[in-house]
Amino acid sequence: MNLPRLSLAYLKARPLNTALNMTLLALGVGTIALLLLASHQLEEHMGRDARGIDLVAGAKGSPMQLVLSAVFHIDAPTGNIPVADAKKLAQNRAVKRAIPLALGDSFRGFRIAGTTHDYVSHYGGELAAGRLWEAPMEVVLGALTARASGLGVGDKFVGSHGLAGGGDAHGDYRYAVVGVLKPTGSVLDRLVLANVESVWIVHVHPEKHDDPKAVLAQLREDEQEITALLIQYATPIAAATLPRLINSTSALQAASPAYESARLFRMLGVGIEVLRAFALVLVAAAGLSIFIALYNAMEERRYDLAVMRMLGASPGKLMRLVLVEALALAIAGAVVGLALGHLLTEVVGGMLAAEQQPAVTGAAWLASELWLVALAAGVGLVAGLVPAWRAYRTDIATTLAQG
Amino acid sequence: MPTLRELTRPGETPMIAVESLLHRYGATTVLTLQSWRASAGEHCLILGASGSGKTTLLGIVAGLLRPSEGRVEVAGEGLARLSGPALDRFRGRHIGFVPQKLHLITSLDVAANLVLAQFMAGVAQDRARVREVLAAVGLADRLGAQPAQLSHGQAQRVAVARAVVNRPNVILADEPTSNLDDAHCAATLDLLESQASACGATLVIATHDQRAKSRFATRLELSPGRAS
Repeated sequence: MNLPRLSLAYLKARPLNTALNMTLLALGVGTIALLLLASHQLEEHMGRDARGIDLVAGAKGSPMQLVLSAVFHIDAPTGNIPVADAKKLAQNRAVKRAIPLALGDSFRGFRIAGTTHDYVSHYGGELAAGRLWEAPMEVVLGALTARASGLGVGDKFVGSHGLAGGGDAHGDYRYAVVGVLKPTGSVLDRLVLANVESVWIVHVHPEKHDDPKAVLAQLREDEQEITALLIQYATPIAAATLPRLINSTSALQAASPAYESARLFRMLGVGIEVLRAFALVLVAAAGLSIFIALYNAMEERRYDLAVMRMLGASPGKLMRLVLVEALALAIAGAVVGLALGHLLTEVVGGMLAAEQQPAVTGAAWLASELWLVALAAGVGLVAGLVPAWRAYRTDIATTLAQG
Repeated sequence: MPTLRELTRPGETPMIAVESLLHRYGATTVLTLQSWRASAGEHCLILGASGSGKTTLLGIVAGLLRPSEGRVEVAGEGLARLSGPALDRFRGRHIGFVPQKLHLITSLDVAANLVLAQFMAGVAQDRARVREVLAAVGLADRLGAQPAQLSHGQAQRVAVARAVVNRPNVILADEPTSNLDDAHCAATLDLLESQASACGATLVIATHDQRAKSRFATRLELSPGRAS
């Protein structure tokens, strides 16, 4: 026998109370764990997707929409811009590198992005099979796209109009898979990559049944459009001058991924803060419940405590017994809560994955979760202090004589 | 005033020695006792009506209460000299107490109630000793029983077993025979005497039960408010 086992015997003797306290604490800790995991992983995903992209230039509209559509591929594009404008911008001395992006079609919910090989190398993409696209209508699949669709090198498929999936199929043009990428953990995994011309062919003349090359040859200058240009600055000073230049002198707008995603998190942050405050209220309620349960238990256990003193226990030992009990309850609740949080995160992750959104997983652990256990232990300890003090102060001789 | 040592006959160290004892609750004096001794292995009775201070005296000898005045020695140790935790430790090792209301721990089974006595006294936890003592009080087959499942007689035997499991020098029993019929009264006193003898302990029984009187040669009569 030792203090933890004795505490356990008492916890088992009151199963309903114990279960209630553990549940309350687990709900609070689980909610906080879910928030921590989801917001951390989403921020990490967005950080990875936006890394190295200083500015996005696209059609006028909401700058956040432009960033969401062109960098994270989760919103509809603001519109298209003429290739001529994009070319002019790319030649600006303040621009180190500009990657074009032409959007418009999708395949089973995965976007087909017309771009250059630079886009792949920007995210450190490597081929798992096949080669990169060279000719129009040749595509390379991101790792997640390939796994979800089951397609591989040599397969052909028909894209559908629009980005949401389920739009009209462009029945006449078939994409040919020539390569599959290894997982990168970035937005690359969820895309179908082709060259810009492929998007033009499918999009501008969907009614033509001709050879793609012939279609391309007939394309008018004003039909050559892209959706956005992903820009990397040549010098830090460009950050001060280039956005203003673009916004004031052309039909384009410039948006900063860093600024827009910070703005997005600030807006989401209010909701996250509310949820977090709610979770803390749950934790506090659990602490109060543990306090009341132990306080009442001390009343019921007056005789037990007096008997323990009679058997030779010091007041300090009784105090430790009560604190160990509160602590055991709190830590058990925290562990169940963490398990619950990870389970919920995995469920949310599964729901997001079904929407082709950035994956969130419950299988990852954060160091800050240990702080949650510490928080719960602290709540348990504080809740146990007053009951422990009562145990310490038990008047044994009087109590033993009563009954 | 003579010291305790001088009062003691040469060659005989008393297991319990009480001198000039007085205890008050608030302004009320509940116990006065000029001098009382019990030697090692002796079985004695403290008699007195309700309110005569029997339970208080047991509490003081057990170190559960510190007396307002006077000196108490148990097994040659002056209890007033022991600090709180040392007194607790001393009680755990040397004194077995059978309270009037038995107060078994209902969250623990019978055997665990005895192991608890070993754990709280800070002595080695010895399951073999627990089985031996429970067998000695006739409960060899009730080790895993919950206290709530026991009859009053069985619960009392568990309480006695709990008091003797650490082989104490002194066993104190408070009103062990109240509410018992004659047969059970005799059986309970037999049990206490046999268990005390088995570990060579001094047995002190506080009671107002006149049926116990004839069995014990050594008796201390207490009466309220008056020095004995």
